[in-house]
Amino acid sequence: MLKTRIIPCLDVIGSKVVKGINFKNIKVMGSAVELAKYYSSSGADELCMLDINASYQKRKTFIRTVESIAKVINIPFTVGGGVSDLSDITQLLNAGADKVSINSAAVKNPSLIRHASLKHGSQCIVVAIDGKRHQNIMKVVVKGGREITKNELITWAKQVQSLGAGEILMTSMDTDGVQNGFDTNMLKKVTSNVGIPVIASGGVGSLEHFYLGHLTKSTGLLAASVFHSRKYKIKTVKKYLSSKGVPVRL
Amino acid sequence: MKKKVIGLIDGQSGNIGSIKKAIKDIIKNKPYRLKVIDGSFDVDEFDKIILPGQGAYATLVSNLKKLKIFSPLKQYLINNSSFLGICVGMQILSDKGYEDKVTNGLGIISGNVKKFKKKNLIIPHMGWNSISIKKNNPVFDQRFNLKDFYFVHSYIYQNIGKTNILATTYYGKNFPSVINKGNIYGVQFHPEKSHKYGVNLIRSFINDK
Repeated sequence: MLKTRIIPCLDVIGSKVVKGINFKNIKVMGSAVELAKYYSSSGADELCMLDINASYQKRKTFIRTVESIAKVINIPFTVGGGVSDLSDITQLLNAGADKVSINSAAVKNPSLIRHASLKHGSQCIVVAIDGKRHQNIMKVVVKGGREITKNELITWAKQVQSLGAGEILMTSMDTDGVQNGFDTNMLKKVTSNVGIPVIASGGVGSLEHFYLGHLTKSTGLLAASVFHSRKYKIKTVKKYLSSKGVPVRL
Repeated sequence: MKKKVIGLIDGQSGNIGSIKKAIKDIIKNKPYRLKVIDGSFDVDEFDKIILPGQGAYATLVSNLKKLKIFSPLKQYLINNSSFLGICVGMQILSDKGYEDKVTNGLGIISGNVKKFKKKNLIIPHMGWNSISIKKNNPVFDQRFNLKDFYFVHSYIYQNIGKTNILATTYYGKNFPSVINKGNIYGVQFHPEKSHKYGVNLIRSFINDK
């Protein structure tokens, strides 16, 4: 039986893992390589790493960090942030990423999804979607939620699937960083409208939140600060989910 | 003592970095040598060959033909030499693949590769899933029974003879996840991404005979 994936996410500037509430008030949480090693050996099903400050100088450090991590882990590795064209995708895959996540570049230029999945295969193209309610309509937002696009969320989710995305990484900007739980309502809307895997992201603060995330039919559950702060070990989350009857890899 | 030579085929179908790293770790201080195959090769030079693969069936077959790997590989397999195919590297052991267009495979283990067909099944089959060992085998022994491995694929081996199925996995239905004929093995999952059991499995293949 397919297991629900528990995915720690590293938000990274250069080689450091950071945390910010709604992308503001940035605080350093540790070294990306050290945390990656720790998660890989302690039961993470996959590792996600996002460059949240893709400036030219920091980007070089970030790519070197991807290379260093790929050498020390043996679980799937998704990398994103600051991906603007096909050459960025190729560069990250060559650095050792198994999957690359595209976000605002896909919104700006949807055909990038098609070109990327034709070139590298759908299995390694993840489209990250940031969603937010605006005047009671779920919209796609970019720039950490500061810019609302014209795209309606569900229409966009269906479109990225038809363009060849292998997976959707769905973050709700209404719940991200505040640890009050996943945006289950938004996630259910997405999972019931697409046939590709959806990773739930944004808002985990308690063990029950993971379970509620699973109930949305998301096959991956992503969290950052509850793991970085050592509030929960990955094994603790998995044992809890298993006790609730959720299939996990123990 | 002469070192055994392990060939790792780079069919330009995804990154071979993680599998290369896994093999290197396993053969460290052991009487083996790793050699990447990126063009025509002498079948007698290799004691074992591993073919990783991602992406489409047709792409891998056409890359191997372009790189002049396809014909010597077919001969190597006809000789029943030791081989491990991973994901699409396993799928092309079949007669035909139906991804994008109909493509002839290596025709070593009879069967066809077709898309998962079931309503409401999330495709690709992506994530960790367990394998049920169906037969006793020195490489894929009971240690691996019901252990989880990392899968990512939308197509499965079909119409395969029961004798060639070493393990199955359930996703909508049971499908062949480990196949075998003589010294030739294929796994639908990615052992190089499957943490310790994945590494153990590659080690078991390398250390066999």
